[in-house]
Amino acid sequence: MFSERAAPTAQGLLSPPSAEPPKFARVPLSGYTDQSQPFRLGERSFGHQYAHIYAVRLARMRPILQERARSKWGDDIALRKLCELQAGEKCCVVGTLFKAMQLQPSILQEISEEYNLVPQPPLPKYIDPSDELILEDELQRIKLEGAVDVQKLVTGTIFAVYGYEQDNGKFLVEDHCFASLPPALPRNGPSSDRFVLLASGLGLGSGSGESLLSTQLLLDVVTGQLGAEGQQSCAAHISRVILAGNMLSQNTQSRDTLNKARYLTKKTQAASVESMKMLDEILLQLCSSVPVDVMPGEFDPTNYMLPQQPLHHCMLPLASAYATLRLVTNPYQADVDGVRFLGTSGQNVSDIFKYSSMDDYLEILEWTLLAGHISPTAPDTLGCYPFYNLDPFIITECPHVYFCGNAPRFQSKLLTGEKGQQVLLVTVPTFSTTQTACLINLRDLSCQPISFSGFGAEDDDGDMDIKH
Amino acid sequence: MEDELYLENIDEFVTDQNRIVTYKWLSYTLGVHVNQAKQMLYDYVERKRKENSGAQLHVTYLVAGNLIQNGHVCHKVAVVREDQLEAMKSKLSTIASVHVYSIQKALLKDSGPLYNTDYDIVKTNLHNCSKFSAIRCDAAVPRPVVEVAPAQTSVQDGSQTKSDRSAASVPAVNGRGPSSAKPTTQQPKGIMGMFAAKAASKSQDTNKETKVESKEAPSVSATSSKPPAKGNIMNNFFGKAAMNKLKVNSVPEQPKEEKEVITPSVPEAAPESSLNTVVEKPGKKTEPARNQQKDKKSKMKRVDKSDNEEEREPENVKKKRKRIKQLQSDSSDEEGIPPPPTPEEEKPPSPPPVPTLKTELEPASTEVSAGGRKRKRKRVLKSKMFIDDEEGCMVTEKVYESESCTDSDDDFKTKPPAAPKQPVLPLKKEPKEERKNVKKGVAAASRASKQVSIMGFFQKK
Repeated sequence: MFSERAAPTAQGLLSPPSAEPPKFARVPLSGYTDQSQPFRLGERSFGHQYAHIYAVRLARMRPILQERARSKWGDDIALRKLCELQAGEKCCVVGTLFKAMQLQPSILQEISEEYNLVPQPPLPKYIDPSDELILEDELQRIKLEGAVDVQKLVTGTIFAVYGYEQDNGKFLVEDHCFASLPPALPRNGPSSDRFVLLASGLGLGSGSGESLLSTQLLLDVVTGQLGAEGQQSCAAHISRVILAGNMLSQNTQSRDTLNKARYLTKKTQAASVESMKMLDEILLQLCSSVPVDVMPGEFDPTNYMLPQQPLHHCMLPLASAYATLRLVTNPYQADVDGVRFLGTSGQNVSDIFKYSSMDDYLEILEWTLLAGHISPTAPDTLGCYPFYNLDPFIITECPHVYFCGNAPRFQSKLLTGEKGQQVLLVTVPTFSTTQTACLINLRDLSCQPISFSGFGAEDDDGDMDIKH
Repeated sequence: MEDELYLENIDEFVTDQNRIVTYKWLSYTLGVHVNQAKQMLYDYVERKRKENSGAQLHVTYLVAGNLIQNGHVCHKVAVVREDQLEAMKSKLSTIASVHVYSIQKALLKDSGPLYNTDYDIVKTNLHNCSKFSAIRCDAAVPRPVVEVAPAQTSVQDGSQTKSDRSAASVPAVNGRGPSSAKPTTQQPKGIMGMFAAKAASKSQDTNKETKVESKEAPSVSATSSKPPAKGNIMNNFFGKAAMNKLKVNSVPEQPKEEKEVITPSVPEAAPESSLNTVVEKPGKKTEPARNQQKDKKSKMKRVDKSDNEEEREPENVKKKRKRIKQLQSDSSDEEGIPPPPTPEEEKPPSPPPVPTLKTELEPASTEVSAGGRKRKRKRVLKSKMFIDDEEGCMVTEKVYESESCTDSDDDFKTKPPAAPKQPVLPLKKEPKEERKNVKKGVAAASRASKQVSIMGFFQKK
């Protein structure tokens, strides 16, 4: 995108100083509305059980699924609750999925004295051939067999199955369906090129300086310092930067208080303090030039449970002075220039990755959209606030850009729905490992990765290959 | 000529100072647009090489363009050494920009030093990091420094509001953040001291307070708007009856407000100091009342001498309870309290400046208690004996002291209503200050008179 427009003046700066250099005005801030109100928690009370969130989820999604079931299998199918099932009768049941996994870490087992178990080391995936699927609704549960991919599905998904109950008490599934894409939102995108830069996983404080130059190059491109005139004028069309989590590296996480004696760790400052100062300076450079939305991630100093609340502005005193800085929740939803963005910092996708056979982040991202829920595994394996009135993770309106941060590599796909929905799925790679960010053109929902590199001693070409 | 100037400058930087001159560094140092800096560097390289082809000059370039990778087009931005430039250019399908990135004498093995150079220069120019950039953003304006007042409550709650944050985009804000908490704790004490002190000693108090406050004032923005806001609270506090007795109604509120307010401005403190005396009494009265109420440990119930005061107090206390400073302000109040006994609801200016001594002690005690402020305070009934020269007798008074649990030296005394006499001589031990207790009929364990000693520290526990 940039290159074509910038090409004509590419070599322009290889010349003696010329007349007054141009100053491009950043595209004006227009059409931004923050839609992440459901993800903001006010007063938090932890007196509720987690069962309520499942009940709400099922109640909210049941009508959607019933309609989908009718449209898929005919209007005349019998919609039954589990308690109304009769053996042998073909019907459709809507319920919550539960996957009984042998390898799923269970704190009760770990501390049980009977078993004398050593705590299980974290595995990349917890799937096992012996896993079973169970469908639950408000009153009962039933085991599922048949045309369901046990390995692929995860706990917490609401879906509809079509089949009949067998004599052995299990439900034989002939077909199943998910909620599919929610209703489309009209898109009033800009008529000219406007870009949004998505980056995640800056990983400050990691102790290794590999990606620091690349981070600086990223800042310089966005703020218009780097590049020839053509590129700078293109960069002026970047209307927003969204940092999708993990600005801090995992190495800032602990002072090793568990293993070290207290007298050794008492006076040590948490590593995150230095990193936040660095982040503050980086954000200051960005905010003085472009609106920035900062989402917290897994390793950022905010609460652990989803929805993660915005970083507190007192940690970013320099950057908070600018109105262009917006500290937002994770997940995050907003209308930018008429285009609806919805995305997370990646915890939902990586959690599903652990409990499902799906390997591809883009595939998982697409699957969550089709299932109609941002994070079905919350609260089972992913920490989540005990909602009892509503489940804010249900996707009610189809976004135009659906992203997840901290993916291993950059991927994007334009998904078209049955009812004309068009969604751009983007997996934003971790910047600290890939030195790649994403540029999304709001005009036509196209996406291009942008990567940065310096040169190192070992490179013959002086060029670090982009990992894809 | 101007042209020659920059060439000389670059020459000096590169050859004499042996620096790595990046375009950004040059732009900030010479104060020119980044594009001009890039062109200057290029110009210098060209001329130098023309003059002296053997010149020891290494250049790094920035190349950006489209790169086809894995089937899709990626926009690549790379810093390359001169010898890698052509190779890189050939890799890119479309070139978006090429320009000089840096010049240095030595051959760079890797790009780390480039980053360091830029990092240093940006760090020193954080406040105007986009000044020489090619893009300006109209929406990016730093917020003006807002009153810290609204932040007070939030500070109490343990979080700072945006207003605080917007104090400055300068690193000074970093310093402000933590320090603003401190001033707030100090401030109430200072103000409370003002109230506690007697009229005559007010000036002294004021001086001390201003001293205390002046410490904080620089770090805190004035909260001129606060006092008016607080006025209402203070009004409630005093109650109508109390208010009527105040000689100066509005002014006392201000000092009181300031008490509540975390950061009163110094100038405000000064003029108000004189008026503080008046407020002192009500302050004192309300102090004990508030103190009691706030004191969670206190099991004593006080008869409410002044109903309206008490009525107001709960709500004030409630409001105050949210603030951590509350306790401190209370303690400071009590500390600076002059001995003069106050009849139930009076707010008459306290008589003779008992607190000549007290005032001297006030600042000390306020400071001392500052630390202990955060601890809980207990009300303990103690007997105080002193010689009342006026009447030529010894007076024993039972007084409520509010003691900080952790700091034994901070004692606040409040006189039980039973003692209408005003102690002329302040019974003083360093941190002790007497205060009249407006409420009646509170029984409390009496303690031996406090003496400044470290044992008190243990006793409190």
